[in-house]
Amino acid sequence: MTHLALKNISKHFGDFTAVRDFDLEVKKGEFVSFLGPSGCGKTTTLRIIAGFEIPSSGVITINDMDITNKAPNQRNVGMVFQSYALFPNMTVSQNIGFGLRVRKEKESEVKDRVAEMLSIIHMEEKANSYPYQLSGGQMQRVALARALAIRPEVLLLDEPLSALDAKIRVALRAEIRSIQQKLGITAIYVTHDQEEALSLSDRIVVMNKGEMEQVGTPFEIYNFPTTVFSANFVGTLNNASAEVVDPANGLISIGGVQFESAVDLKERKKGDKVRVAIRPERLGFASEQKKANVVDCTIENITFLGSIVRIQVTIGKAKFYMDTFNNPFLELPKIGDKDQVTCSKEAVLVLDE
Amino acid sequence: MTFITRLRRFPFWSWLWFMTGALYFILPLLATFEFSLSWDPQYPLKAYQRAFEDQRFWNSFMYSNMLALTTILISIILIVPTAYWIRLRLPQARRIVEFITLMPFVVPAIILVFGLIRIYSQPFTVPFTDIVILQPLTNFKMGTNILIVAGYMVLSMPYMYRSVDTGMRTVDVRTLTEAAQSLGANWFIIITRIILPNIRSALLSGALLTFAIVVGEVVLASFLGVSAFGPYLFLLGQHRAYEPAALSFVSFLLTWLVMGLIQLVTGSQEQAAGAH
Ligand SMILES: Nc1ncnc2c1ncn2[C@@H]1O[C@H](COP(=O)(O)OP(=O)(O)OP(=O)(O)O)[C@@H](O)[C@H]1O
Ligand SMILES: [Mg+2]
Repeated sequence: MTHLALKNISKHFGDFTAVRDFDLEVKKGEFVSFLGPSGCGKTTTLRIIAGFEIPSSGVITINDMDITNKAPNQRNVGMVFQSYALFPNMTVSQNIGFGLRVRKEKESEVKDRVAEMLSIIHMEEKANSYPYQLSGGQMQRVALARALAIRPEVLLLDEPLSALDAKIRVALRAEIRSIQQKLGITAIYVTHDQEEALSLSDRIVVMNKGEMEQVGTPFEIYNFPTTVFSANFVGTLNNASAEVVDPANGLISIGGVQFESAVDLKERKKGDKVRVAIRPERLGFASEQKKANVVDCTIENITFLGSIVRIQVTIGKAKFYMDTFNNPFLELPKIGDKDQVTCSKEAVLVLDE
Repeated sequence: MTFITRLRRFPFWSWLWFMTGALYFILPLLATFEFSLSWDPQYPLKAYQRAFEDQRFWNSFMYSNMLALTTILISIILIVPTAYWIRLRLPQARRIVEFITLMPFVVPAIILVFGLIRIYSQPFTVPFTDIVILQPLTNFKMGTNILIVAGYMVLSMPYMYRSVDTGMRTVDVRTLTEAAQSLGANWFIIITRIILPNIRSALLSGALLTFAIVVGEVVLASFLGVSAFGPYLFLLGQHRAYEPAALSFVSFLLTWLVMGLIQLVTGSQEQAAGAH
């Protein structure tokens, strides 16, 4: 059942369009991420849901109730900010209980709820600390508890982890996800970090210049990007301009080298310019695995990245990356060697130029 | 540790400048104190006794205190919401407002007071007729009080506005406001339970500066003809030798006492706001 719906939302600041025709339905308990580069309108969309911005056009509903013009303090939407935004004059408990006290709930219920939230974020012993006595990760956990304490309809998170260092980021990310699932709360998560979006979300909305590029599960977004932008933005990607050779059999040519693709090309004509995209990990040396596409290449460069080794090869005139898992018995080629690489038909994505 | 390294560790120049500065401020104060005790060698506190015995001292001092408190209260009521709204919704108006708040530094108090007298020594009439609605403000006591408080608000505006604005910058009122709103708080709760407590120290320092300005002010008070503390001290200085010295020394002590108290009250607050 649809819990939160954004229908044709647009937002203009003067002549500038920050969000255009944003259309999304979110189910109860779903975790949706907005992913995109800086300035693409993620925060603006989130602030429209929170009520801090009024959309220029379009409608927002929660449980089929139109909330487009409701004030932020009437929406029952929890928000977590990048800068934590804890109230410096209140202790951890007072911060968490603030929303409940504003709602004039009974003091005994406030106490119980605060205790419950403190145990969920594992910070019982910090109940009486002030924000300046906490670390960044602890502050963000308190901010999360404070937003959840009011049992919001929707939880909004605007890059909540980007001010934290890498280790804590990964740990807290898992914690956010597990709390969200435990409470079954609908969540919208804004990030420009693809790894975060891929690991956390039920669905991802890839955004670019105020528009939705693609909506799908992390699996779909990564494996079947529908636009060059979302293919490029999520993960590393080889892409080269190409020409359709035989639409019926899925044959295309990258600078004279022919590839066979599993993508349906019936809509396209022979000679159409397209863009071909192949993930580095889908390419391999022909000697190791026999696949549909076997093409000649020259080794250009070899980069050691820890668990994987990234090899740059030239196919025709285009440069491609190829990733192989690192292992101690790996026999690496030499730069300048001629070799053959291969990939399956399914690995060859064909996108609009 | 050798003598040389210890000498290197000793921040000679910092200390030299610090001592020079300290002497510059403390020597005149010591001289004043010394002088105030020298009226009667038998009875060193005579100047203090005389000063405090004078009923006009207490009257003018209490009157100035009342003026200062009123000025502080109305300034806060006007300036806090203004500065808050500018931070929240009208950041582009910041420069203009900052410029306006600096005007009292550009326009001397003497010009302000003559302007006030010129305009408010005429009765208020219904436009285009001679029907009088209100007598000139300068002609009755309450009217003069209103004028002088308004004038003091202008004079203390640069200090009050800047303190409040700086206080709001250090706590990022904008995000705090949004956080509170999303938790269901209305404007009244946001101002009284989030904004004011978090700019407490800024308010106190603004209030202290305002207090110091109002209690010592001479020009406005004497031209508007009120018996405030400033003109009293001025007069005393013209006709007596020892009492003014005693009173200046006491006011210094008072100021330090208040500042110490503010430090005490706001110590933890500063820490909270400074930790980011
Ligand atoms: N109040 C405003 N007035 C004018 N332009 C604005 C306003 N708020 C946002 N914008 C513009 O809208 C665009 C989208 O901003 P938004 O904050 O939504 O980006 P974002 O995707 O969250 O980026 P980031 O990853 O950097 O946070 C930006 O170009 C920004 O300059
Ligand atoms: Mg943003």
